[in-house]
Amino acid sequence: MTTKRNASVWPLLGLAVALLVLARSGRPWVEFDPPQQVVTLNPKLGVHTRLTDEVEPIKVQRTFRMVREMGAPWAVEYFLWAAHEPSPGVYDWSHADLVVDHAVNQGITLIARLGYVPEWARPAQATHLYLDEAGYDAFARFVAAFVGHFRGRVKYIVVWNEPNLSQEWGYRTPDPAGYTELLRRAYQAAKTANPDVRVLGGALAPTLAPAGSEWAFNDLDYLQGMYDAGAAPYFDLLAAHSYGWIFDPDEPPSADAVNYRRVELLRDVMVRNGDGAKHIIITEAGWNDHPRWTKAVRPAQRAAYTVRAYERALSQWPWVDAVCMWAFRYPRPAGTYQDYYTFVNEDFEPKPLYLTVQAYATGTLAGVDAR
Amino acid sequence: MRADLAQLSPRRRRAWLIGSAVGAALLVAALLLLRFEIRGRDATWAHIQQTGVWRVGMDPSFPPFENLDAATGRPVGFDVDLAQAIADSWGVRVEIVSIGFDQLVDAVDAKRIDSALSALPVFEERARDVSFSRPYFDAGLVLAAPRSAGISGPDDLAGRRVAAEWGSRGDAEARALKRRLAGGVTLVLRDSIPAALDAVLAGDADAALVDAVDLALYDRGQGRLVAVGQPVQSDPYVIIVPVDAPRLLAALDETLAALDADGVLGRLRTQWLEENRTE
Repeated sequence: MTTKRNASVWPLLGLAVALLVLARSGRPWVEFDPPQQVVTLNPKLGVHTRLTDEVEPIKVQRTFRMVREMGAPWAVEYFLWAAHEPSPGVYDWSHADLVVDHAVNQGITLIARLGYVPEWARPAQATHLYLDEAGYDAFARFVAAFVGHFRGRVKYIVVWNEPNLSQEWGYRTPDPAGYTELLRRAYQAAKTANPDVRVLGGALAPTLAPAGSEWAFNDLDYLQGMYDAGAAPYFDLLAAHSYGWIFDPDEPPSADAVNYRRVELLRDVMVRNGDGAKHIIITEAGWNDHPRWTKAVRPAQRAAYTVRAYERALSQWPWVDAVCMWAFRYPRPAGTYQDYYTFVNEDFEPKPLYLTVQAYATGTLAGVDAR
Repeated sequence: MRADLAQLSPRRRRAWLIGSAVGAALLVAALLLLRFEIRGRDATWAHIQQTGVWRVGMDPSFPPFENLDAATGRPVGFDVDLAQAIADSWGVRVEIVSIGFDQLVDAVDAKRIDSALSALPVFEERARDVSFSRPYFDAGLVLAAPRSAGISGPDDLAGRRVAAEWGSRGDAEARALKRRLAGGVTLVLRDSIPAALDAVLAGDADAALVDAVDLALYDRGQGRLVAVGQPVQSDPYVIIVPVDAPRLLAALDETLAALDADGVLGRLRTQWLEENRTE
């Protein structure tokens, strides 16, 4: 009896030691899959993941595994400057490494959205999206550090997010010239660190805000303002947000409507400014299927619209390289209509939308019966 | 000091020690009072009192809680009336500020508005930046069934037929139940929430999984279908205020409790979920 008990203790002790070693090493506990490749009929298919506050490595892995299995070779993910440079010049890439390595392991091209100001780089009472010009160089140094650290693993970065919204601009008045200056410094720093990195600018929120609004700046006017301020040489691609709201993806674009094809109006602005050779990546898009939000559609419509939107980008928009729909999964329910944007729920239960897109990407859509 | 104390007579030394102790106690009491005073300060509440205006943010795209009236273009709904009732009880004027949903919490944090009242849940990850009132409504996922169905919760669904809108949260929950319950459940999927609820009334399903608001809007107080048991998933709505606004938060909690006790919240629920048609 004593001998048997001792014999059963040794494996447990060994396991405990192994776990301690793993914990001390700071390495993720999950085994990486053998290197994977995305199999898809639409190479422009993508999603925006939401792993910023996903702490469990196995869930990070599962996210990218399911993205791959859906047939999406592209993903956008947000990397917080505040988390990765907690004090000036001190970098912590542990979580970012985890996210990037699992994306790469699953054969997914990751587009890194960079922003979120650390406390040390902004006034005490300012929001985490406030960065005045005195902080632009500090942000550019972070961009260079990020690009250098992820050289060979991350080929695309997005500089800031929706700077045409007062909130995203730290409650300063949205200012295309100010953003252009931030973009210029970030671009030059990124290219110095890695000339091959592709820098995306813009990422403007589609908005019908009237001129002089306290809260937002019309996206079409803002993009023109960027060109007027000399932004053209400082972004390799335009990042665009292209939500459908209640309109189907074939609804013609119009300056007074927010719909999926509004991106064509952004493209028109680019062409008018002699920048037509430049491509666009749609880094946020999609439809919502909340039962009562006035800008939502029904789940069956959402599934059909999403597939059609991917198809339109593939067959009719040669100047669009990828469409990354918002959002693949939230780590926890938001408890609002935002939960109705996701492809899978927080415990990875696939929504019928996921199954529909997967069937589209694998060529079995006609035979799919999600019901 | 020690040498000086030693030179004092025992009586004077005792008096000195007692005096020192009383002085120290008074000092501690003063510091505590000051701390409470500082903690109790609330510039947001003071500003509301001073200006007589309570600035409330909402995204008027979410009927029946907040929506733009087609005729007047003004915000109307449960939350609008609730804001008005709260302001009335405080003797101030409410100013509704229309802001996109994604911006509401940051706008409170940045003090661009005094509060956000827009069918908002508790955002636990923002608890350092803002505070949350007591809930005034629960819009969670419920099990809708006739009173006579003999169903009191999800566990009673084993072997039964459950309706939901295809692709909805109810659909996902029904699929999870199908896997979890011994004997499973039979999914009855329809292309809309009213159609899923119709299926229950028509006898094609035993119950439906829908959210509490959709059930109320469908049934309109007729009692044909009721929410049985506790919500399957709870979605409490709260009001959000700046984290350094304890007096505003206390006033809101107190007023919401009073409005609940007085039946005002119940009347708003009846008015906006059972009587008015906002679509």
